Amino acid sequence: MIADPGSVEALLARFRYRPDEETAGMVDLAASPVEPERRPGAEDLQLLTFGLGAAEYAVALGTVTEILRARPLTEVPRARPPLLGVLNLRGVITPVYDPALRLGLATAPPVCAGPDCERPPRAARILVVRTGLGPAGLWVSRVRGVQRVRPAALERPASGLTGGVIGVLQTVEGGCTVVDPEWLLR
Amino acid sequence: MSADGSGVDVCAFWVGDAVYGIDVARVDEVLPRVVPLPVADAPEYIEGVVHVHGTAVPIVDLRRLLPAGSPPRSAKPKVILARIGRRRVGLRVDAMAGVRRYTVAEIRPGGAAKGVLGVTSDDCRLLDLHGLLANR
Repeated sequence: MIADPGSVEALLARFRYRPDEETAGMVDLAASPVEPERRPGAEDLQLLTFGLGAAEYAVALGTVTEILRARPLTEVPRARPPLLGVLNLRGVITPVYDPALRLGLATAPPVCAGPDCERPPRAARILVVRTGLGPAGLWVSRVRGVQRVRPAALERPASGLTGGVIGVLQTVEGGCTVVDPEWLLR
Repeated sequence: MSADGSGVDVCAFWVGDAVYGIDVARVDEVLPRVVPLPVADAPEYIEGVVHVHGTAVPIVDLRRLLPAGSPPRSAKPKVILARIGRRRVGLRVDAMAGVRRYTVAEIRPGGAAKGVLGVTSDDCRLLDLHGLLANR
């Protein structure tokens, strides 16, 4: 027990928060820095996460121009997968593709166009993305939302193996794979 | 931190049957429901890590570090995200007890347990987080 009256001030000096106080000797489990004043950073990536079957994927938000509720498409005779059909988007004929086929998650495309077309599942959406050849649609099972991440949070794949995979984002809810939408259409 | 330096604002919380406090300036936020991801080979007082706005933060179970009796019956466990220097930790507590202001005269130095800097007149134990967590 320390008895002199000055010691309460000494105690408070240890009690109070200082950004430069010592942290040595603490268990080091995770990079857990106090973030310096986080401006909504220009360098932050904004990702639109969506689901294909059970898997979660994401594309850069900037490439997506709109999200439509999935609707029956107009069939294209002799269309080859992954082309599902076309969509008249306010006068612009927009092809819609199935990314699940490109990613090897499905072997047969869903019937989304033509007379024996099934009614699309309630959660299904069409992501309209900008490409070098005009707008194109991606038929996805569901859209989860927009996530803002720092580029460093993205685990990049080893070079040379990438294909259209830009990186993998690990979060507590599970991982999602960030893909290049143009690669999904190729 | 108080403006005149003669007192202190304390974020108080329950751990077991005692009230502890840390400087409110350390507290970033209080999270109600947190499910940490377990970490292999972590010390037993670390529950795991959670992702908070893009950074991983270790969660420390204060109930395993402080002499804890049984918590108040109305306990609502929370995680306090606190700063220690340039690092952050999450502190698992049994319940929040509000923000309290103490003058220097209300604080007695010393405390029985490791990491306790002093005790206030209403029996709130002021914690030294670095002293509590370092070199375990």
